[in-house]
Amino acid sequence: MPKHIASGLKYLTAVKLKEQGQNQQKIADELDIDRSTVSHYLNGRNLSWNSIDVAKTITDLEPKDFLKMTQAIIQNPEQIRKIVNICKKNEYETIVEDSCIGCGLCVDLCFMKCIKLDSLKAQITSRHCCGCQTCENECPTNSIKILEI
Amino acid sequence: MIKNVKEVKDKDFNIERSAEEIRNLSFKNHVCIGCGICESTCPVSAIELEEIGAISRNKINTTFSGHDKLPQNIHKGFDKAKLTIDEHKCVLCGMCSGLCPADALELTINGVPIANIDSYPHFISFAEIDDDECIYCQKCQTACPRDAITVERKLPNRADLVSGEIEVNEDDCIYCGICKEMCPAEAIEVDSVTGEESIVIDKDKCVYCLVCKKSCPTDAIKAVCRICSYGDYDINPEDAVVTGSAIIDQELCVKCGWCEGVCPTDAAKHKKPFKGSLDVDQNKCQTCGACADVCPCDALTIPSLKGPVKVDNVIKRDEYCIRCGACEKTCPNDAITVKITNVDYTPTNSKTWIEALEALKN
Repeated sequence: MPKHIASGLKYLTAVKLKEQGQNQQKIADELDIDRSTVSHYLNGRNLSWNSIDVAKTITDLEPKDFLKMTQAIIQNPEQIRKIVNICKKNEYETIVEDSCIGCGLCVDLCFMKCIKLDSLKAQITSRHCCGCQTCENECPTNSIKILEI
Repeated sequence: MIKNVKEVKDKDFNIERSAEEIRNLSFKNHVCIGCGICESTCPVSAIELEEIGAISRNKINTTFSGHDKLPQNIHKGFDKAKLTIDEHKCVLCGMCSGLCPADALELTINGVPIANIDSYPHFISFAEIDDDECIYCQKCQTACPRDAITVERKLPNRADLVSGEIEVNEDDCIYCGICKEMCPAEAIEVDSVTGEESIVIDKDKCVYCLVCKKSCPTDAIKAVCRICSYGDYDINPEDAVVTGSAIIDQELCVKCGWCEGVCPTDAAKHKKPFKGSLDVDQNKCQTCGACADVCPCDALTIPSLKGPVKVDNVIKRDEYCIRCGACEKTCPNDAITVKITNVDYTPTNSKTWIEALEALKN
């Protein structure tokens, strides 16, 4: 069953990538699946529509829950990051205030790997942020703000 | 979920967070000077300083007010680590490490101490002994309040520096043993047993003082002066050179400057990280000696007295104070004020770190 939902999530990702104008080979490379599977997805074959509905419901969850559910369904972290990043509903503005002490806790906590430290201050790559707000909630000095655009 | 793991070993401990990078904060109790800068700096209030005064007084032979008649004030059994860190609160930011004037707390990231990472600021301070200038007198070793200096020296061969030799004319010697008894260097052996008479002079021990010659009742001892008789016997200046090494244990050193203060040459040099002042209000001071017991620099001391006499004043050696403030925190009578007016540190881009460093000033 989780396998089907995983396929559903990949299907949704493939469709999004197609909408962005990517060709099938590129999509296959992105998702680390073979090209014929992408072709099947995009032609609506070999997929249960119910699984796609469940996958849609998952992508519609709050960002934190979307990430959590995807982590529960798919094992490969790199694949999770791609799916979450492509299927997320919003873009985010990320703000790190000067009160940051450079403890690196956010770097360690960010599943999307979009935070790094530069000169004892966190730097967030906004376009990779999934909006889960883990960093914002755990920051010991409340220096991070994640805003929906 | 990412968790900190604490490993306690006697009074030392390590806190580690292992994820994207490995952050490790280590504490060395014997290096800690109990100033409490870490406690007031910690942005998440994870550090708690213990009763430093009581801990310091647990030292063997430390007596109340330096008074050898008051040993009852030794707090036996009060043997704790000088500080504790709550590993559930600590976020391993390293501020305590960066601001610790004694480097008792040290954060490493992937094994590299933050003092060696450019983006982190660290205090500009040092203490060093120049081998070219050092005469290995060991004055710094004696003065160092942290026992951080080891001076090892190799002395010249004493026999090479003696300015003459003595010889015995055995035809005149009666083996009475007077010279043996008089010799301050115990360089003469005399056997007076009839039939086995002998006299031997150990030239390595003899210092050519000529006491033997002067005391000999038969004038059997001849003296040969190396300096005045034959130029060949002149003392070689190279034979008189003391060689050695002077090493500062940088882990224990707090850059107080005692070594430089007592150095008779220009060999010892130091620089303190803070500038400021130390004031003792003699009206409030009860000369309890707590400050002297915690001071890592012997900048405050209580004179050692014998008999039932009360000490009037603590002795302040301002030039050796590193303005760490441990005494001020310990003083039960609020008699001490330590001010930091200048903090010397390497540049950083982090506003919070600069704020924390500047906040040391008061």
